[in-house]
Amino acid sequence: MSVTAFLTDSTLCIGCKACEVACKEWNGIDDDGLHWSGFSYDNTGSVGASTWRHVKFVEQPPVPGLGGNAGEQMSWTFSSDVCKHCEEAGCLEACPTGSIVRTEFGGVFIQPDVCNGCGYCVTSCPFGVVERHSKDGRAFKCTFCYDRQKAGLVPACARVCPTESIKFGEIEELRTHASKRLEELRQRGIHDATVYDPRDTTVGGTHAIFIVRGDPRSYNLPPHPEVPTAYLKKAWTSSVVAAGLLLGGTLLAFLLDGKRNARKLRR
Amino acid sequence: MPFFGEESRTLGAYLKKHSARTGLWSGFDKYFISLMKAYYGDSATQGNEWGFHWLPRVTGDHSHFGYWLDMADGKLDGLFVMGQNPAVGASNGRLERKALAKLKWLVVRDMVETETASFWYASPEVERGELSPDSIATEVFLFPAAGTAEKAGTFTNTQRLLQHREKAVDPPGEARSETWFMVHLGRRVKGMAQQNHDSQNDPLRALTWDYSTDGSEAEPRVEEVLREINGSSLVDHKQLGHINDLKNDGSTKCGAWIYCGVFPDESRNRANEREPKDLLGHGWGFAWPNDCRIIYNRASARPDGSPWSERKKLVWWDESKQEWTGLDNPDCDKKIPPQAPTEIYNGHGVEALGGAKPFTLHPDGVGWLYVASGLKDGPLPAHYEPLESLIENPLYNQQTNPVADRKKRTDNPYAALHDARFPFVLTTYRLTEHHTAGGMSRHLAHLSELQPELFTEVSPELAAKQGLRHGEWATIITARALIEARVLVTTRMRPLCINGQDVHQVGVPYHWGYKGCVTGDVVNDLLVISEEPNVRIMETKALTCNITPGRRGRGRQALNQLASEIGKRA
Repeated sequence: MSVTAFLTDSTLCIGCKACEVACKEWNGIDDDGLHWSGFSYDNTGSVGASTWRHVKFVEQPPVPGLGGNAGEQMSWTFSSDVCKHCEEAGCLEACPTGSIVRTEFGGVFIQPDVCNGCGYCVTSCPFGVVERHSKDGRAFKCTFCYDRQKAGLVPACARVCPTESIKFGEIEELRTHASKRLEELRQRGIHDATVYDPRDTTVGGTHAIFIVRGDPRSYNLPPHPEVPTAYLKKAWTSSVVAAGLLLGGTLLAFLLDGKRNARKLRR
Repeated sequence: MPFFGEESRTLGAYLKKHSARTGLWSGFDKYFISLMKAYYGDSATQGNEWGFHWLPRVTGDHSHFGYWLDMADGKLDGLFVMGQNPAVGASNGRLERKALAKLKWLVVRDMVETETASFWYASPEVERGELSPDSIATEVFLFPAAGTAEKAGTFTNTQRLLQHREKAVDPPGEARSETWFMVHLGRRVKGMAQQNHDSQNDPLRALTWDYSTDGSEAEPRVEEVLREINGSSLVDHKQLGHINDLKNDGSTKCGAWIYCGVFPDESRNRANEREPKDLLGHGWGFAWPNDCRIIYNRASARPDGSPWSERKKLVWWDESKQEWTGLDNPDCDKKIPPQAPTEIYNGHGVEALGGAKPFTLHPDGVGWLYVASGLKDGPLPAHYEPLESLIENPLYNQQTNPVADRKKRTDNPYAALHDARFPFVLTTYRLTEHHTAGGMSRHLAHLSELQPELFTEVSPELAAKQGLRHGEWATIITARALIEARVLVTTRMRPLCINGQDVHQVGVPYHWGYKGCVTGDVVNDLLVISEEPNVRIMETKALTCNITPGRRGRGRQALNQLASEIGKRA
């Protein structure tokens, strides 16, 4: 079974939102409500319980000397966000029911029939992806189209992307493709393009890699995502120290009190 | 086929007007007579000029706006609207909707109840008291239509490619395809004509309408229609394979000469072929004419027949085979060598163009920058200001296109140059999330949530000037109408500086209406009906407007507000 991933190349994204719609259609997800946000052309806001693919619209001031747009004009870039399917997944590690599992494709999958809606995964996701459904109560996110992959199909979002901004395939092949693409972009004068593939962080790499221009934070991608369990050792150590100190203090209290009583008795 | 004017009273005059001695239009008589044989079959004979006198004549401007204005003036009894929603999609929507109320009957075929089908009870004119369901005499018939996945047939795209699609699912309920509707309507109308021997029914009686149907719903077989469009020989009844097979003696029939070759034999539908063999896509669908993927591809080779560029080569002259060959089907006569001389002044047909003139539809075979004939506003491209503009034409004294058809009338007024009532430029456009007038997108939650509300985009400078606040409401007014929209302030909109004058722009996407899961004012109400003289396209990208903070009035108040704005000094 091959280990798969998404490569989302925002330099190719035209902001058509076909990925969002295909995802909702295939997975039978509700709409987010018919509310106008006034935030550029984005009215679904972010990835959440009822939006598993989400296209961000980033309006940025001009960066002189960089290719792409004319120097004096602001830039308007788009990028399709999705669950990162971390190697060290905070949600999976926090799940007390065993609902969240790792699939044979390397993705992270929430089994809706096991989820009890405790919400621990929500606070444990370093990317803010997982959300509890406001009406249903259970947690939902991108399934990596586990059902489609099982049947040998490409995930719905990648299937419909008209510019191949969302690529799907074997993870190492996509990493090679990403570095080639970066080289090509730089040759064309787009020096601010970067690959977002946080392998050197505590999430240990993701199954959703991105190519973005400029600071990844503009696209809601944290430079150093951290899986909460990275603090487990520290937490345990401090707990042990704290416990030791408390125990020592208590013993000391008894000990000192005992000596004082002994002195009283002697007097 | 070209329109029939007053000057074309006889077949001879018509053919003479539209034929050329040289180039592809030299075959106009072949194309036209084959079309008449497809229309009228055995009834079309040389003796009756192939039924030329049966064709309806053009008596005026029969473009969309032309007949809509006739409708507004009560000159039209009935209208069929299929896959179109002019109550939202057409310029000067108020005029368009009010004109619908002048019809005796209106047939709308669509997948949803569109604004056009519901104008008589849901339009802003009803809310404002200009129209009332009680007094509208129009009888409205709404027919459920099959969607694209619910019917078979071909698409032809702007790249000239015909692609056949199969039906994926049966349409729900009583929804049927357009082919079904037209074939069965045709049968009934023809049946009525056969009962009534009035001479005005001669064309209907002569018309061939023998399409067969299939299944319990009697759905026509669409491939039969495409076979007829391709054309066949009336001698051996075989399908035609190439435009060159068409005859002017009534021995061939063909529904559209440019499509000839799409169905070259009984069982071969080239529009349905799905195995692309090369980069140009041969083997996938059929591109008219003659499956040429790049039109006028002879121009990719030098006059001597060798490619201009090795990297971009398309066709070239093969000296050993003595014919044109290459990556594409040559869009020229395969056997005419590059050296063949040009004989435009006394020659005939495509041969007269010689071997080095790629633009075969032109009688001289060359591409035209200077267009001596055919255009109403040639011969060279020029810059004119929009019909409504804030600035004087910086290039010429001629401010606007002198031959533009302005359709000026009291219900289609224009703002004047430097009109103080309308100090900003209005431009309308589309969003990727919605489809034109919204019939196929505003009724779907997964598309509507992506763009749920009508908004207007303005620059921070214009917002400051007019007191507009992001996220709040604005009212936009033109000489025709007023609408309200949410304000989106963005640096993507920038004021222009033209001749030292600041020109502010107001951008509005136009998809909303009064039906569907998301609704909003009809932006096209703001536009004026105008026609570019050659292809009769209206001006939608540059008009003048005013924008003020706050919502528009409701009901009658909206009309009063409009009247008071327009009543201000120009």
